[in-house]
Amino acid sequence: MSHDSRARPRLRISLTPYLFISPWVLGFLLFTLGPLVFSLTMSFYDWPVVGERSFVGFGNYRSMLTEDPMFWESLGITTRFALIYVPFNIVLSFLLALMLHHARFGAGFFRTAFYLPSVISGVALVMIWNWIYSQEYGLLNYMLSFAGVEPVNWLGDKQIAVVAIIIASLWGLGGTMLILLTGLKGIPRELYEAATVSGVPGWAQTVYITIPMLGPMLVFTFITSIISAFQQLTIALLLTKGGPQKATYFFAMYIYDNAFKFYDMGYAAAGSWIMFLFVLALSLLVMRWSAAWSYYEGELKSGGRDA
Amino acid sequence: MKTVHALIAGSLVASVLGLAQPAVAEEVLRFATWDSDESLAIEQAIARKFEEAHPGVKVQVEAYGGDGYDQKLAAGFGAGNPPDVMYMWNFPQYKTSLMPLDDLITRDAAALDLKDFPEGLMNASRIDGKTYGMPAGFTTHVVFYNRDMFAKAGVEEPKAGWTWDDLRAKAGKFRNEAEKTYGFAVDAKPDPYDFEQFLWSNGTRYISDDGKTIDGFMNSREAAEVLDMFGDMAKRQEAVTVNVGENTSASALFKSGKIAMLEGAMWNKSGLDESGVKYGVAPLPAFAGKPVQSAISISAMSIAKDTKQADLAWEFVKFYASPEAVAMRTNDLPVRTSVADRKGMTTDPVYKPFFDVLAVSSKERPAFLKNPKWAQIQENLAVAIEAAITEQGNAQAHLDEAVQRSQRFLK
Repeated sequence: MSHDSRARPRLRISLTPYLFISPWVLGFLLFTLGPLVFSLTMSFYDWPVVGERSFVGFGNYRSMLTEDPMFWESLGITTRFALIYVPFNIVLSFLLALMLHHARFGAGFFRTAFYLPSVISGVALVMIWNWIYSQEYGLLNYMLSFAGVEPVNWLGDKQIAVVAIIIASLWGLGGTMLILLTGLKGIPRELYEAATVSGVPGWAQTVYITIPMLGPMLVFTFITSIISAFQQLTIALLLTKGGPQKATYFFAMYIYDNAFKFYDMGYAAAGSWIMFLFVLALSLLVMRWSAAWSYYEGELKSGGRDA
Repeated sequence: MKTVHALIAGSLVASVLGLAQPAVAEEVLRFATWDSDESLAIEQAIARKFEEAHPGVKVQVEAYGGDGYDQKLAAGFGAGNPPDVMYMWNFPQYKTSLMPLDDLITRDAAALDLKDFPEGLMNASRIDGKTYGMPAGFTTHVVFYNRDMFAKAGVEEPKAGWTWDDLRAKAGKFRNEAEKTYGFAVDAKPDPYDFEQFLWSNGTRYISDDGKTIDGFMNSREAAEVLDMFGDMAKRQEAVTVNVGENTSASALFKSGKIAMLEGAMWNKSGLDESGVKYGVAPLPAFAGKPVQSAISISAMSIAKDTKQADLAWEFVKFYASPEAVAMRTNDLPVRTSVADRKGMTTDPVYKPFFDVLAVSSKERPAFLKNPKWAQIQENLAVAIEAAITEQGNAQAHLDEAVQRSQRFLK
C-alpha cells in the first residue's frame, strides 16, 4: 500500500502510461462507475420511466425497509437459497475437481463435459430443465418412476420449486470446479510424497495438505458463489416466473419487477443498492473470517513485522 | 476486457456518427406493434396500403413482440426516442407521453364517422376526458366448445343465457380418467385483467370506481364466491387446473381434444381453426340471475407527444381506423359496426357471441384505469387467485391478505 518514496522526485506527469491504460479506464468510467453513480442518484428519486421525476431523499429506502413485505420475503427466499446453494456448490465442485485430478483416463473429456453446462446460455439451460422437470413428460419423473416414486410436481409445488431451482443452478458449477482444479494442480507434489513417506493416511493428506493449500481458491469461490446466489435471476425468471405463489421470488427478481414491470426505477435502484451493501458486507465478513484459516503465500499480516 | 470496452466505445461512437448522417429522402414513420406472426403480417399489409396511398412515405413496422413490448416501448420513451405511432392499451402508464387526439378527432369528425365505433371501445382510451388512442381492433370473451366431444358424450350444446351451474353440470360429464379428458380448464394464473369479468358478472369489481378502496371489493363475498367456484370445479374434477408449474395451456388441451370447453377470446380462434377441431362458440355463462359482462381487450393506436411528424402520424392512425383497414384485420374483431355488419359477423353463429357480449360490456371500467399503482396491487391479487385455485378453496383468506398487503399503495 505505501508509496515508494523514491518515486517522489520524478513527479512529472507523463501521459504515456495513462494512454496505455486508457481503454480500461474509459471502460471503467463509462460502463462501471458511471452507471453505479447514476443508479445511486436514481435511488433517491421517484423515477418513473415515463413522466416526471421527483426527489424523495431516503423515501425509497424507508418504504422498502418498513412498508414493503415483499422486500423481506424475497430477501428471505434468496438467503435460504444461498444457504443451501453455496455449500453445495463448493463441496460438489471440490469433489468433482478431486476426482478429475486423480482420474487416470479421460480427464480431458470429463473436464470438458463438466464445464459444458457453464458454456450454455442461461436461457437454453432453462429450456432443458423445463423439459427435465415436466410433471407428465419430464425425464426426471420418468427416471423416478423406475424407483416407484410417484410423479413429483417439481415446478408447481411451493416447497419443491426452490429445490428444483437449486439443482438447476448447481448444474452450472463447472466454473467453480475449474478454479479448484487449477488450484489442485498447483499444489507441489513433494508435500504429498513427504507425507506418504511419513505414513500419513490419504484422508489426513486431504485435510492437512490439500484443503489448506487450496485456501485462497476456496475463499474466492466462496465469495463468488455468494454473489452469484444473491444475483440469481435467469433461472427463476424463466423456469418458475417467481411462482408458485411467489415461492421462488428471489431478491433480484423483486428488483427486476420494480424496474421493468412497475417502472419504478428509483425504487429498483434503491433495492440494488441494498443488495450491493448486503453482499459487500457478507463478502467482507467472509474475508475477515477466512483470515483465520486461509494462508496466502507471501502475505504479510499485522503490519509486516518480518519485513 | 480492455479491448472489449474499447471496441464497444468505438462502435458506440461509430453508431452515433452514423445517426448523424443526413436522413434518406423519403419520410419514415415508425410504428410499434406487439403483434407477431399472422397478426403482424396483417399490420404490414395495412402499412403497405398506406404507403401506396402516400408516395414517398415509408412505414417502418417495429414488432417488439408480446412479452417484451412494454419494456421496449418504455425504453424508447425513456431514451427520448419513441416510435411515432404505437399500439397502446396501458394509457395510465403512458398518457403523459401521448398526444391527446380530441382536437384532431373533432376536426376530422366527418371523415372518421365516430358513430360507427361502439361506445365501449372509445371509452377504453379515455382518461379524465381526454382521448389518447383510436381503437384498431378488439376482442371480447366467449366459451369455445368441441362439438364432436359434445355429440359423442350426448351432452346438449350450450346456448345463450346459460349459467355457470349449467357449465359445471355439462363439464362433469366429460371427465374420463383413462383418456385424461375434462370438461373445462381452470387457469391458476389467469391475466387479472381478463379475470375481472367474472367478478363483474357476479356483481362486484376489484376496486371502487374512484380508485381509492379495495377493501370490500377485491375481497368481497362475491369475489370469493367466484374463486371458490373455480377451486371447487377443480376439486370435483369438472375442470383441469392449468398453469401450475406445467406450461401446457388450456387452448393446447382444447386443440388436442382433452377438454370440451375453453374460456377464450379471438386470440385463440386462428389456432383453433388450424387445429381442425370442430368447435362452436357460446357466450360467457352468467352467475344465476346476474347480468354477464366480458372483459374487452383493445388494441388502440396512439401517437407519441414528441413526434416530429404529427400530421403524418395522424394520417396513419386515421387510415388504420378507416373501413378499408378495419376490414383487413381478420385476427381480431372489427371496431366499426358497419364493417362487422357488412361481413355478416353480427349474425354469424361463430362471431355473434363476441358482439352480443360487447353490447352489454360497457358498464364497468377495468381496474388499471382507476388507480396508477394498480400494477403493484394486481401482483398481490394474482398471488391470491393462484393460491385459491391451487388450494381449491379458502379464497376469502387469500383475498383478505391481498387487500391487506395492498393497502400501502392506496395512500
